[in-house]
Amino acid sequence: MGMLTALAFVFSYIEFLIPIHLGIPGVKLGLANLVVIVALYTMGTKEACALSLIRIVLTGFTFGSPASMLYSLAGGSLSLLVMILIRKLEVFSVTGVSVLGGVFHNIGQILAAVLVVETASLLYYLPVLILSGTIAGAVIGILAARLMKRLENMIRKC
Amino acid sequence: MHVKKSYGAVVVLLAAVLVAGFLAAESKSNRMERYEVKFFDSFDTVTVITGYAKSQEEFQEQTELLQKKLKYYHELFDIYHAYEGINNIKTVNDAAGKEPVEVDREMIGLLKLGKEMYQETGGKINIAYGSVLSVWHEYREQGMADPKEAQLPPEELLRKQSEHTDISKVIIDEKASTVFLQDEDMSLDVGSIGKGYAVQRLAEYAEEIGMKHLLISVGGNVCAVGNKGDGEPWRVGIENPDLDSDQSYVGAVELTEGSIVTSGNYQRFYMVEGKRYCHIIDPDTGMPSEYFPSVSVMAEDSGKADALSTSLFNMEVQEGLALVESMPGVEALWIMEDGGVRCSSGFEFDEEK
Amino acid sequence: MEASVAPADLNLMKKNDVILMGVLAAAALILSVGISLYFAANTKMAEAVVYVDGKEQGRYALNHPQTVKISSGDGNYNVLEIKENQAEITEASCPDKLCVKHRPVKKSGESLVCLPNRVVVEIENGDEREVDSSASGTGGENHGKKGGIYGNADSSCICIFLY
Repeated sequence: MGMLTALAFVFSYIEFLIPIHLGIPGVKLGLANLVVIVALYTMGTKEACALSLIRIVLTGFTFGSPASMLYSLAGGSLSLLVMILIRKLEVFSVTGVSVLGGVFHNIGQILAAVLVVETASLLYYLPVLILSGTIAGAVIGILAARLMKRLENMIRKC
Repeated sequence: MHVKKSYGAVVVLLAAVLVAGFLAAESKSNRMERYEVKFFDSFDTVTVITGYAKSQEEFQEQTELLQKKLKYYHELFDIYHAYEGINNIKTVNDAAGKEPVEVDREMIGLLKLGKEMYQETGGKINIAYGSVLSVWHEYREQGMADPKEAQLPPEELLRKQSEHTDISKVIIDEKASTVFLQDEDMSLDVGSIGKGYAVQRLAEYAEEIGMKHLLISVGGNVCAVGNKGDGEPWRVGIENPDLDSDQSYVGAVELTEGSIVTSGNYQRFYMVEGKRYCHIIDPDTGMPSEYFPSVSVMAEDSGKADALSTSLFNMEVQEGLALVESMPGVEALWIMEDGGVRCSSGFEFDEEK
Repeated sequence: MEASVAPADLNLMKKNDVILMGVLAAAALILSVGISLYFAANTKMAEAVVYVDGKEQGRYALNHPQTVKISSGDGNYNVLEIKENQAEITEASCPDKLCVKHRPVKKSGESLVCLPNRVVVEIENGDEREVDSSASGTGGENHGKKGGIYGNADSSCICIFLY
């Protein structure tokens, strides 16, 4: 648990240092979410929640501003909520869950931004963010699946 | 047990979403909006008040108070109209050579500033110059109404009128709060400082009633109260005197307090036989000044800035530059006929390219 | 470690996942078309708004060249000309002609004012202005005018504009 938290924090830091610019403001891969998903699948709901919240607060205080923390809180919690529910349905694999998590992460952020700035024109970004959330979510999902297979093998060997 | 645990976590998450939403709403309610109001009932010009406030109602209520206050100064400093229940400049002028007139403290303040600026500028601005200014005013109005018949005032008349402009004959009795003009042919004209003085007092009044982020412009006489609400300074453009140019501004200055006032020959003037005669008259020559098209003065006090911009307009650049450099907290910028710019050592502005 | 992890969960991708991603991509596409149509229909054009005595008299789109005669009673008038996305007053019955001398306006918040005729032309929905105000050279004139506008004190208007 502690190790995963540290890992999530480190991933956030890496993304803070080397933002992967995809040509659209605010769009990033979300490597930290990889850790959250792994936690969700290997340790359980409660741990994933705790890890996600700790990561957001920690990175918010270290690299961000109150505003950026607010956005990632909105995005992170909505995303996790959706992932927990979808996982329970057992319709999708890790990738599907991660895709929805990615999409709802973006939706949560933009809803918070709309509330703050009071400009509905931000919704202009919504299609772009759905698309980018899907792609990022898929990449993270595949990575998470591979990672967990390795972890499982390791655990079996032990 | 396991199921219960999950529910607990979900509740925590929901709470987080709620907190995020609450924080968002909270930071929204602390944000101030920008409002602007214009009115036209004072000083023959447009007054624009721009400010940041939490609600439109609040801003409107406060600016209505400001509008009333400005109207009061307008009536107090009017030289052509009498108003019921108030002794204004016209009342004082009408009683010239006869008797002292009891006036409001505000009028005493204005006239004292006028005398002080007369001293400081070596007589380049004179509030007791009404007898000459009224002649020019009349000829200018006629010239504008009927440009073909536009004429200059006869020299003889100007010379005769200029004998009644001795500012030392303006007797201010602060204790009794009265003003007396000793020469019955003299008259006050506070056009060169009245607007600035009023704007200064208006800015102080705005602060008293709790306005913190405000930019007041009364006909281009601009004064700032605080910043724009987000910490950014106000940006005030210095108008390009060449009205045919596409470039509206020569540059912009940043203001978070204090005032900037411009005097120029490019807006109010009339033409006589193809030559431009502007509205600012040099007390030393009795003629419109034509050293350069425009000068802008920045100073803490808007009344002082107004008085200085008029007096600098009546001097050569070198002489004005020396005067400005000798006054702490005062900066100025001159725009020359060829479009060139001169400014005092501490004048900071972003030049428009 | 919890033992409840079903091995099937760890598959790289299921058929459902592919369908989900397809649906999301389609949704994004449809939304983007819908939103751009919505914004195109709702974006306001820059226009010159004419007020006489503080009352709105008309709105004229800046991208539509035209000449408008603004009558303000007693035979007084201002001619407003709109061309090349800007507005200017080219002719007026007022004595001082300050409004005619004024340069053309095109940015939000810029205005043309004719005090004697109580006419204001203000730009709305244009580009943002780069300054908050301007220091212009009307300073130092004689105060007051014989027969000026302030015979009618009620002609003052308050217009509040929300940005």
